Amino acid sequence: MLKYFKKGIYSNIASFILPVLLLIIWQYITVNGYISSHILPKPNKILSTFLWLFTAERFVFDITFSLGRVMVGLVIGVLSGFFLGLLMGLSKTAEKIFAPFLHLVRQVPIIGWIPLIVMWFGLNETPRYLIIAIAAFFPAALNTFSGVRSVPRSYEELGAVYGFKGFNRIRRIILPAALPSIVTGISLSLAMSWELLVAAELLMATQFGVGRLILVGRDKFQMELVIVGIITVGFIGFLMTKIVEQFGKGTQGGNVFHQRF
Amino acid sequence: MSKRNFSGIDLKDMLLALIVPLFVLVLWQIAVSLQLFSELLLIPPVTLVKTLRDLAHSGDLTVNIIASSKRVVTGFLIGGSAGLILGVFMGISSFVDRFIGPLIKACKHVPLFAWMPMIILLFGIGELTKVVFLSIGAFFPILYNTYQGVSGVPKIYRELAQVFDYKSYRYLAKIIIPSAMPSIITGVRLSFGILWMFLVGAELFGSEDGLGYMMTWGRQLFQIDVVMAGLVVIGFIGFLMNYILGIIEKHVLRWQLSFEGGAL
Repeated sequence: MLKYFKKGIYSNIASFILPVLLLIIWQYITVNGYISSHILPKPNKILSTFLWLFTAERFVFDITFSLGRVMVGLVIGVLSGFFLGLLMGLSKTAEKIFAPFLHLVRQVPIIGWIPLIVMWFGLNETPRYLIIAIAAFFPAALNTFSGVRSVPRSYEELGAVYGFKGFNRIRRIILPAALPSIVTGISLSLAMSWELLVAAELLMATQFGVGRLILVGRDKFQMELVIVGIITVGFIGFLMTKIVEQFGKGTQGGNVFHQRF
Repeated sequence: MSKRNFSGIDLKDMLLALIVPLFVLVLWQIAVSLQLFSELLLIPPVTLVKTLRDLAHSGDLTVNIIASSKRVVTGFLIGGSAGLILGVFMGISSFVDRFIGPLIKACKHVPLFAWMPMIILLFGIGELTKVVFLSIGAFFPILYNTYQGVSGVPKIYRELAQVFDYKSYRYLAKIIIPSAMPSIITGVRLSFGILWMFLVGAELFGSEDGLGYMMTWGRQLFQIDVVMAGLVVIGFIGFLMNYILGIIEKHVLRWQLSFEGGAL
């Protein structure tokens, strides 16, 4: 985004043309009734739905609830991924033991686990945490692993000169050197877990959370609720990416390469 | 260091790789033998193999695999070509990039699944919904990677095009596309991974055939062997797809020796 601001005012205007144009067309066709308001509600209806949700409904609570789910799943997934990645990175034997199995399990799309996990754990919070944890696990494990593996030899030698061994070696040499890669892993984990949270809330109907809103909108055929839900979910995803990117810049002084999946 | 057998695969490595799967299998069998969990929740490993064989014999599996693959291919063709065209335009022209770039970047942040209820409201729950959903899934990775590839075409190549006086079509076919190819191929691979994942999700949402349907059906009838068989098949096809795409990638990019390929 920042790139666009640097290019000067004209490019800024260019980037606003299309959204504004779309908004005008949207307003025009809905006001004149070319499209049923069930299919495409008026723009001001979306705005009023937003206001109504934030004031009259427990929307803020829903958002916090969803974020809470992500946090629980993320912490479990990232921590276990981090430790497995570290172990695999430090020991070639551990890599040979765990890596093939890990790649085997990774072939199954995460959403595919949902029916099985629901059968095992029922429709409560546990399966949702688990799905998010699985989603967060793989990026964290793989990036920690590759980060630890690519610690420059000279750093290792420096550690040897200082006589760092065992825990000290990990703490003072390996972890700092692998940090950029680990942060990349966590940012990918975060994006993945938000993606899967939405899937989990939509596929395993829930009483709380942002997904509930979208489902209610669908069942009652209130498109404005669905659209508000999409915007909210997208905006939170955007914020998460930005926060992690900022955090990433702090650790390595560069850009965190970020792409979903 | 250790001895290698004729096929070049280290025997010791293979044995090490088998530790975890064997451990899981033994634990699984023990849990079944001791009846730690109900038969409904944990089937013996042998039953899973039998179910897979039965499903393959009865033809159910083939029908569902074909139905699922059709959706993936259709979604890929529609979403992928849209992403490719838009990506090339955004990469070549900085005006187009500034014009629609921000809007697309904003849309990219929306988790794909959030589109699903809206698509259902707009298109019902027929085949069209799934195809639209999967097209969106293929659209973003291909757009993003094409854009990156095209906008990253080295300046020397562009100058070369000027020297040869390549314009429009030839400029695209001889300079831009070949130069952006590694990135585009990465996008194709990524998009197939995403497509496969979201296909399962789309079919879980409600469908009459396909592998996701098979699993939902198994869950509703509480036939956990069918659900697990579905998982195995989906995982296997995902692996196969990735493998084949890897080979294609190597073949297409054989001229580019330094390219290491793959994403994530």
